[in-house]
Amino acid sequence: MNITKNNKQLIACPQCDALYDTPILKQGQSVKCTRCGSVLAERKIDSIKRSFYWSLAGIMLSAPAILLPIMGVTLVGQYHHASLLDCILALIDRGFFMIATLVFLFTLAVPFVRLLGAFYITYSFKFNRLKPSLLHFFRAFHHLDNWAMLNVFMLGIVVSMYKLLDDTELSVNMGLLAFILWLICSTMASSALDQDYIWQELENEFVD
Amino acid sequence: MNLSIKTAQESGLALCPKCHKLNDMDLGAGNSARIQCIRCQGMFYARKPHSLQYTLAWNIAALIAFIPANLYPIMIVYSMGIGEPNTILSGIGEFIDYGLYPIAVIIFTASIIVPLLKITGLFLLVYRVHTGVRLRPDKHSKFYHVLEFLGPWSMLDVFVVALLVAVVELGFVTSVAAGPAINYFTLTVIFTMIAANSFDPRLLWDKKQGCENAKEENDY
Repeated sequence: MNITKNNKQLIACPQCDALYDTPILKQGQSVKCTRCGSVLAERKIDSIKRSFYWSLAGIMLSAPAILLPIMGVTLVGQYHHASLLDCILALIDRGFFMIATLVFLFTLAVPFVRLLGAFYITYSFKFNRLKPSLLHFFRAFHHLDNWAMLNVFMLGIVVSMYKLLDDTELSVNMGLLAFILWLICSTMASSALDQDYIWQELENEFVD
Repeated sequence: MNLSIKTAQESGLALCPKCHKLNDMDLGAGNSARIQCIRCQGMFYARKPHSLQYTLAWNIAALIAFIPANLYPIMIVYSMGIGEPNTILSGIGEFIDYGLYPIAVIIFTASIIVPLLKITGLFLLVYRVHTGVRLRPDKHSKFYHVLEFLGPWSMLDVFVVALLVAVVELGFVTSVAAGPAINYFTLTVIFTMIAANSFDPRLLWDKKQGCENAKEENDY
């Protein structure tokens, strides 16, 4: 074992700390850690372009997904529907402030801010407007990684539809379609974002 | 175990958890020293400090919050002015009564099995890392990733209640109100997520490596 102490040539597995030489990857390739099996590094196909357009679409869809009613119920001639925002407002109305705050954060604020962040980063790369502040911006962006729960909310919609189907007349509104598209866009935007590549480029540009 | 793999720690390097850049560690300072990443300027530690203690503490908090979450009603369904409170378990029972088995299984998994699995699983991981008894890092790190992935799905019940409260609002005929259990249940989910985030899977491998080195020394 003769490892020279040149950090530029080495990467470590974030899950088990095993040390490897930096692999040279083509687009679409990824490497796995031989010890714990987690992904060490990957190079995604057309990362900047794809993430840019997905996040742009996501930002445009967020208004209808949040504001349009998702579903409605009819019972004894009375009709009522609700959107994502109505869920949060209803919780505030009933005095459940903590739940309202958390639902707001996990299903509305975090996904939206993540889309904006991905859009800003890929925009800067696409049009070559790199600034040193992007280093801090991208680091802050990583803090939101675990806290977007749109997919869980989607399952929640399905479950509550089943629940309502039994004793009411259920109607589905445009909001559901917008919400599903929003979910797809935000998932694709964050999964297309190539973090290794972005960090490498930012380092080449701004660190010594 | 494969001892030919060298870790970053042994080479005097530390990985930035945010930007995955290897930094030089101050020699002799050990794991508790704060390091500033040369790439992203963020402050970090070579290993999460007091990882096991934090995990244990959040875990106990989650377990405590899980008790009222199951005892209080999570949702109260009013129809014609008469309220019928539902706990998490009685809600699942209702689905079974109606014959909606797939939904009953999904809710049962998300709101009972997953939180309990996470809490006991993290207790087990902390215990294994602390004592080093029958520690198998390859298996245990996979187990940890499953726990980490499952975390957010427990929020399912909270979102269902939020949706029902907002949608079913037909005045006197029928309406749904959230119950006090929803607060405790959300706290359980948040606490287990923070507990899983505080656990550092690299400790599994460190401990194993340490045990094997000690054994080799004893053999000679």
